[in-house]
Amino acid sequence: MNDSYITTFFHWISVAVALVLIAAGLYLFLHYIVRWHQKQALGLALVSPWIIGFAVFTAGPLVYSLYLSFTQYSLFGNPKWVGLQNYINLFTHDPQFWPSVKLTMLYALITVPIGVVGSLLIAILMNQKVRGIGIFRVIFYLPAVLPDVAVALIWRWLFNGHGLFNYLLSPFMHIMHVSNIDWFGKAQYVLPAFSIMSIWGIFGANAVIFLAALQEVSKSYYEVADLDGATKFQKLWFITIPLISPIILLQIIQGIIGALQIFSVAMFVRPTTSAGEFMNQLIYERGFTQMHMGEASSIAWFLFAIILIFTLLIFKSSTAWVYYESNIKR
Amino acid sequence: MESVNAKFLHSMSARRRVGKIVTYIVLIAIAAIVLMPFFWMLSTALKQETNIYKWPPQWIPHPAVWKNFINAWNAEPFGQYLSNTLFIVILGLSAEVISETIVAYGFARFNFPGHDVLFFLLLATMMLPFHVTVIPTYIIWQRLSLLNTFDPLVLRAWTAWGPFYVFLLRQFFMSIPTELDEAAEIDGCNPLQTFQHIIIPQMKPAILAVIVFAFKGYWNDLLNPLIYLSDMNKYTMNVGMYFFMGGTNESPQWNYLMAMAIIMTLPVLLIFFFSQKYFVEGITFSGIKG
Repeated sequence: MNDSYITTFFHWISVAVALVLIAAGLYLFLHYIVRWHQKQALGLALVSPWIIGFAVFTAGPLVYSLYLSFTQYSLFGNPKWVGLQNYINLFTHDPQFWPSVKLTMLYALITVPIGVVGSLLIAILMNQKVRGIGIFRVIFYLPAVLPDVAVALIWRWLFNGHGLFNYLLSPFMHIMHVSNIDWFGKAQYVLPAFSIMSIWGIFGANAVIFLAALQEVSKSYYEVADLDGATKFQKLWFITIPLISPIILLQIIQGIIGALQIFSVAMFVRPTTSAGEFMNQLIYERGFTQMHMGEASSIAWFLFAIILIFTLLIFKSSTAWVYYESNIKR
Repeated sequence: MESVNAKFLHSMSARRRVGKIVTYIVLIAIAAIVLMPFFWMLSTALKQETNIYKWPPQWIPHPAVWKNFINAWNAEPFGQYLSNTLFIVILGLSAEVISETIVAYGFARFNFPGHDVLFFLLLATMMLPFHVTVIPTYIIWQRLSLLNTFDPLVLRAWTAWGPFYVFLLRQFFMSIPTELDEAAEIDGCNPLQTFQHIIIPQMKPAILAVIVFAFKGYWNDLLNPLIYLSDMNKYTMNVGMYFFMGGTNESPQWNYLMAMAIIMTLPVLLIFFFSQKYFVEGITFSGIKG
C-alpha cells in the first residue's frame, strides 16, 4: 500500500469523527442548554455537516473570490488591492477575454435551444408504441453514458482532417470545391464542431427526462381532444407542451448553466486557441498555469454574473409560458 | 352505409401502417447517427497503424489487432492511475452518500429554526459555477499544506457537497409516508433507529441513483485532480488521459486513444446497465440529470 493512501485514509476517518462529534455537541448544546425541542435540535445536528461545508467551501470562498477579483495575487505573499483594474484590463486590453465570452455565449445560445427541441422530439419518438421501442430507448440513451474523455476523443478523431466526418461530407465538399477540414484546428469551424458534438451528446439524458414527463401526461386529455377531432400537431401544441412546460423550463435552465460552464470536454479536445477558449478554460489557465489568481477570479465572477442574468431572464419570461397544473387546481 | 364505414376503417389502418413505417425509418436513422461514433471508436481501436488513415476509410478493421488494448494500457502507468482513481472514488463516494443521506433526512423530516433559509441556500448553490469557488478552495488546501495529496479530492465529500444529490434524496424522503415513522416511534424506536430500520430500506433506489450519478461525477472530474495532484504517480485516469492525448497539432496514435476511450467507458457503462431500472427512477423522480 502506498503511503499517501494511508495518510489520506487516516485524515478521511478523522474528518468523519470530527463531524460526528460536532453534530453530537451541537445537539447536546441546543437541547440541554438552549432548551430546544429534541426534534429541532436533532434536525439541525443532522444537517450540520452540510452547514460546515457550505460555510467553509462555498460561502467563504465566494466572498473571498470576489475580494480576490479586486487584487493581484500569485499565491506568494499577500493579495495586492488594485480596485477595478482587473476588470478594466479584461474589458479593454485583454486580447483573450471577449473572444472567450463570445465563444462561450454563442455555444450556449446555439446548443441549448437545439438540444431542448431536439431532445423533446426524440422523447416523443421514444414514446411511440411500436414493437422493439425498448431497444431504441437504450440506444438513444448511450451517449449519456460516455465519460467526457471518451466523447472528446471520439469527436476529435471524427473531426480530424483525415477523419470520418470529412469522408462522409466529401461528396458535398467536392461540389463546393472545399478540401478536407481540420474542424478543431481551424478557428471558424471550432464552434460548429463543438455544437455538433454537444447536440449529439445531449439527446440521451435530456430525452429520458422528457420521456418521463410525457408519460405523466394523463391520457384523458388526448381522448377528449380526439373526440373534438384535434390533429396530432394540435394535440402536441395545445396539450403536451403546456403540460410539460415546467420540465422544459428546468431543461433550459440546466442546459444554459451547463453549456456556459463547459470545461472537461474542451480541455480534452484542445481545439486551436485562435478561436478563443471557453471561459472556464480561460479561468483555469489564468489561475493555475499563469498564477494570476486575481484576474482568474474576475473572469469567474463575470461568468457567474452571466449565468445569473440568463437564469433570471428565463425565470422572468417563464410566467408567460410555463403552466403549472397546481395553479388551476387551487 | 356499411361499405363507407369499411372503407373509412381501411384507410385508417393503411394510414396507421404508413405512420408506423415512417416511425421506424426515423428511429433507425437516428439510431444510426447515435451509434456511428461508437462503431467508429471500436473500429479504430482494432486497426493496424497503417490502416488508420486509409482513404476511403476501412469500416471493418482487417486485421483486427486486439493487442492495441494491451499496448495502449501499457503506454502509460495506467495501472497506477486506475488504482489512484479507485481510491478517490471509494472514499469520496462512500463519504458523500452517507453524509448526503443524513443531511437530506434532516431536511426532509425535521423542522428547526432556520430550516427554510438553509434549504433555500442549498438549492441556490446548485446555480453557483464551480469555478467561482475553486481558487479560494485551492488556497485553503495550500494553507493546510495538503496540495499534491488525495485529501482535497475526498475529505470535502463528508460535508454533503453535492446539492443535487441532497435535493434528490430529500425528495425521496418526502415521498415516504410519515405514518411509518410514527408507528415505529410508538413501538419505541428512537429517531436514529427509525432512520436505520424503517427509512433506509425504502431509500435504496434513490441511494443507488445517487451512487450512479456521483460515480460518473468522480470518473469525469478533470479540474480537481489536475490542480491538486502534481506527482505523476498520483495522477487519476483522467489526468493520465489528458497528458496521453497530446496537443492539437500532434498526430496521436488514434488506435491507442480509441482503445483507451473504450476502456474508460466500460466502468460507467457497466454501472449504468446494472442499475438502469433504479437510475431512471431516480432521474424521473426529481427531473434532475447527472
